[in-house]
Amino acid sequence: MKNILLGVFLIVSTQLTAQIKQATIQASGLTCSMCSKSIFKALNAVSFVKDVQSDIKNASFIVSFKENETIDFDALKKAVTGAGFSIASFSAIVHFSNTSIKNDAHIDIAGKTLHFLNVQAQTIDGDKKITVVDKNFVTAKEYKKFSSYTTMKCYETGVMESCCTNKKGVEEKVRIYHVTL
Amino acid sequence: MKVKFFWVFVSILFATISIAQPPIGIQCPEISLKDVDGNLVTISSLKGKVVIIDFWATWCGPCRVANKTLRKLYASYKEKGLEIYSISCDYTQNAWKRGIKADKMTWLQVFDENMATSTKWRIGYLPFTFILDKNGKIVAADLEAKDLETAIKKYL
Repeated sequence: MKNILLGVFLIVSTQLTAQIKQATIQASGLTCSMCSKSIFKALNAVSFVKDVQSDIKNASFIVSFKENETIDFDALKKAVTGAGFSIASFSAIVHFSNTSIKNDAHIDIAGKTLHFLNVQAQTIDGDKKITVVDKNFVTAKEYKKFSSYTTMKCYETGVMESCCTNKKGVEEKVRIYHVTL
Repeated sequence: MKVKFFWVFVSILFATISIAQPPIGIQCPEISLKDVDGNLVTISSLKGKVVIIDFWATWCGPCRVANKTLRKLYASYKEKGLEIYSISCDYTQNAWKRGIKADKMTWLQVFDENMATSTKWRIGYLPFTFILDKNGKIVAADLEAKDLETAIKKYL
């Protein structure tokens, strides 16, 4: 039973695999994020994290991932918030293969849905930096700014809503990451 | 169950390896940085002394608090062979120089231009300390200010 549950969890959980090269996270809080070992250690303790490098100059953490592991941005966010900080910015290097994107539309990549905001319609290829603009991945001010680029409810909830797809049988509550280039 | 423990162990091992570099037990790699007057000060020139390498910055509150401890330690153990090599990760030399004055730091002060050394040494957070024995070997790392005295006494 446990195995079945685990299997189901793996299928529905947020999956970004080999396409994600690394993430860069800036944290903010009442004290400076580089003056505390808590974030550094919390990120290092995340199961799919291979390595964390602090970039003291830019006050950010560069996180690389183990191969063939499911990468869950929410787990990284949780590590930062669990350490007593909030995320000020979160970007990732993602590998695209001639992927067409357009504003306020979803693409599926590695079993993951990305919802692009504030972008021009274009085809992207190779390693590109995407910035996650979901709630609690950016400052409240930034979140408000990006909410003007969509009317879809998924930006509020972070999960697939009926507004977001006309495909039948799409599993409800699938995590959607709202991103920009 | 055993398999689970094995993976927990492997995860901890990976986490531990990836934290502090260079590791404890090796000869300290050379560091050569400029002091306030622009003169290069090398770590190798401090052989024969027990050295605290202290990565810090003026914008780092806990570093400023730790400076108080370093000041006391330096006053007590300088004659017994302690040296402190403080490496500033400040953005500007002016801020650094003001900080040295404000915190009355009378020991060796060098500036890490563009934070090149702290990046190379993979300093995860500030303050971050290493202790070198009299032969220049790294004997401890990542100690909190309150634990520094016990550690240096062991090697003096």
